[in-house]
Amino acid sequence: MSPKQIIHLTVNGDHHDIAVGPTETLNQVIRDGLRLTGTKRGCTSGSCGVCTVNDERGRAILSCITLAVECDGRSITTVEGVERDGKLHPLQQAFLELGAVQCGVCTPGLIMSAMGLLNTNPNPDQRAIDEALAGAICRCTGHIKVKMAVAHAIQQIAASAGTETHGQPG
Amino acid sequence: MASRADFNAVGKNQPRLDGFAKLSGRSEFADDIHLPGMLRGRIVRAQISHGRILNIDTSAAARVPGVKAIVTVDDKPNPIIGMYQPLLNRTVRFIGQEIAAVAATDDDAAFEAAALIRVEYEPLPAVLDLEKALLPDAPQLHAKGAGNLAWEANEVFDDPDAMFAESDLIVSGAYSSNPSHNCYAEFHVCVADFSRADKLTVWSPTQTAVLFQKSLATAFGLTEGNVRMMTLNTGGAFTGRGMARPHHFIAALLSRKARRPVKLRSYSDEEFLMGRAGGRALYRFRTGVMRDGRLRALEADLLIDAGAYIETQMLFPRITAPFFHLLYKVDAIRYRARLAYTNNLPYEWHHGGGIAQMHFGWGQHLNQVAMDLGMDPVEFHLKNAVEKGHVTRKGATFASCGLKKCIEKAAKRAGWKRKYGKLPPNKGIGIAIGAMASGGKGMYKHDTSAAFLKVAEDGTVSLLTGIPDMGQGSHTTMAIIAAEVLGIEPTDITIIAGDTDVTPFDLGAFAQRGTFTTGNAVKAAAEDARSQLMKVAAGRFDCKPGRLVFRARQVYPKGQPERAIPFKQLVYDTLHSREGRAVMGRGFYNSPKEAGSMAYSFGAQIAEVTVDPETGFVRVDRMIVAHDLGRAINPRVVEGQIDGQVFSGMSQVLYEEVLMDDGQPLNPSRLEYKLPRAFEVPVVEHILVETNDPFGPFGAKEVGEGPIVCTVPAIANAVAMAVGEQIREMPISPWRVLRAVSRQQDPADDDES
Repeated sequence: MSPKQIIHLTVNGDHHDIAVGPTETLNQVIRDGLRLTGTKRGCTSGSCGVCTVNDERGRAILSCITLAVECDGRSITTVEGVERDGKLHPLQQAFLELGAVQCGVCTPGLIMSAMGLLNTNPNPDQRAIDEALAGAICRCTGHIKVKMAVAHAIQQIAASAGTETHGQPG
Repeated sequence: MASRADFNAVGKNQPRLDGFAKLSGRSEFADDIHLPGMLRGRIVRAQISHGRILNIDTSAAARVPGVKAIVTVDDKPNPIIGMYQPLLNRTVRFIGQEIAAVAATDDDAAFEAAALIRVEYEPLPAVLDLEKALLPDAPQLHAKGAGNLAWEANEVFDDPDAMFAESDLIVSGAYSSNPSHNCYAEFHVCVADFSRADKLTVWSPTQTAVLFQKSLATAFGLTEGNVRMMTLNTGGAFTGRGMARPHHFIAALLSRKARRPVKLRSYSDEEFLMGRAGGRALYRFRTGVMRDGRLRALEADLLIDAGAYIETQMLFPRITAPFFHLLYKVDAIRYRARLAYTNNLPYEWHHGGGIAQMHFGWGQHLNQVAMDLGMDPVEFHLKNAVEKGHVTRKGATFASCGLKKCIEKAAKRAGWKRKYGKLPPNKGIGIAIGAMASGGKGMYKHDTSAAFLKVAEDGTVSLLTGIPDMGQGSHTTMAIIAAEVLGIEPTDITIIAGDTDVTPFDLGAFAQRGTFTTGNAVKAAAEDARSQLMKVAAGRFDCKPGRLVFRARQVYPKGQPERAIPFKQLVYDTLHSREGRAVMGRGFYNSPKEAGSMAYSFGAQIAEVTVDPETGFVRVDRMIVAHDLGRAINPRVVEGQIDGQVFSGMSQVLYEEVLMDDGQPLNPSRLEYKLPRAFEVPVVEHILVETNDPFGPFGAKEVGEGPIVCTVPAIANAVAMAVGEQIREMPISPWRVLRAVSRQQDPADDDES
């Protein structure tokens, strides 16, 4: 057994000192260590998107192919950190109202992929939405209402901030 | 006919009741279960297609620190799975077959130990081509099933030969489909706690907790009550999670041996060895038709690669046979379906349950019939389409039928007349029609769902149901149905599900029985509860119980809303009446028919596609879906069900193929096994045709699998128009399109042999 290393990791604002092995992934730390099981475990090879979380810059990253030792001193947000005080984020609300949730396994990854887009691109067009969601597979919804929900949320957020958007994303 | 305005809760867009939990990361799936002392399991799988196991050496594996249990074929009792497959069998019949398994304190130890188990084989010649499995010189794979014929079904109605002889035109066609995989979002996983010899508790995604419970109880000599199935949420099922599989039994075996809970979970490529979807299948059709388009005789001959073992594949002939009766007014039908044993994975069900895959051929064949007649396919379908009141030769009666309406509405929306045969090069438009039973008997003498409902003193309701929610939204649908009866809001209802120790009997969510069958059970339970409340209300209002209206959380005599009392007041009064009645409703539903269903849904879809002649890539530009679902209980969820089926149908017909090489999947991952991504999906337009079925709950029929049977052939027909010829092998991958394109450009360039 290789020796473990202590990493300092902030998850949804909470600080943790965690002993991790050299092959342990961020996904394992989040799920098995911290028991934050909202982040799902899927293909474990970076091709299905259900493990997506956001890094300290708000970008979407795949926790299943991120080594835990690389995360020392970093701060991440998981799906549990998006809803505040019992109130869904406008993106989550749009998913709920427009029927973009079905079985719910890919949902956390879709939310965190779309949050990654919102965090890094204040005014995304349809192409940017498509690209942000391209790493996710959702067999139930066929991505159709997911795309609508993301576009709708972008409009809602822009409207409440009083900014212009690229018009009606398809 | 009741309009949407007449309803309290039905027909309004109700966001999923479990939506908040799923969106905020609070929704639990089997892989999220963590039990004290839980071990991790790993299965050792066969690496040859056919052979005998001479020796299994577990000594090195047993020495790995952390290993707590190893099971092999020598562990008894050795359960039989499905019909013929013994678990941890000494004869290997496919690459991926379970040979042994390990449970250890963590994944690393389990993986290490599993890799150290040494298996010696004596290889035997394998049968890997469906086309060769039934040849006289093929190696015999099972003692039962002479000549590798695993199953055969034959049906003849009327006199097909006479009707063919009378036909003006006879059209024949042969089609095929290839192996596929469901790619569930939730990977195969099972947590088993058999640490107590008298109680087995299993957490796993499933479509049917009771059938899992029954097979686990039988395998381990337990009573059904001593097997507790915990379904939690199911991360997609698509027909493929209707039966306990080897990993469920192995998790229980490991847990029994280690006397600790065990989690067994598949990883990327293993998912393609333990998961089973469609196999290769050959479809031959022959149709006799008159010059004016009237159908006289149909003939279908299907040959399916059942793989190495029969689990539930024998249902395939029984499930597909009725489909030749459901669409058209034609009496003379000959049907044959055969299942062949091979040394491939014991393939089972993909989204569409074998029916959608068969419709790849059937829908294209019907289009060919119309074209050979020189008839517009829309006219051809309308000429022969069944109508309300039709009775099929297999005894199905259509108490409601919107097939013609679906065809007409879809054609109108698409601008069919403007487009059919008039599109520019590389553009295509295609139509296909379909039908689907809403539950019904076939597997068992009953088709029962039960429901139980208790009303708290504050007027809120707990609804206990055994139907699993795999994403189709059935828990929310059940809440809407109960709310409609009680005149309350769906959000007043808490769903209690997924625990066989608690929930009432329900066969499960398959065969499109959820909304219809469980919905009727829930309706009956809610009506039972309401009748208890009515007794008190009738006394209070001094009116007949039948005159009472339950609506918007109020109760009042018909026509006198000004006298309304709140629903919760009535509940309180009932509990505080002299009788002290606590309100609890129970109900069940079982189809009164001997076989088949009470209700059938119908649909028509039109696809518009663009084919890139340089790359062979097909883009689906637009899908128009008209579906007669009787009644949309929750319209936006209905749309979501349709969207998912359009996606899955498009994915199957254009993208999905497990490439096999000597029994070994070559593309066993979500990167290599291609599904459409968000940027590839079409615009879907929904036309919901509400025919208000007299037997459905508030008129509802199925919408969970009917649409996909139209999607597959509609897209195939559109591609055929764009390319200039039919592509008769599924999926319509770019290379198959390119081959057709080059053949069209130069007919001599035909490399298909």
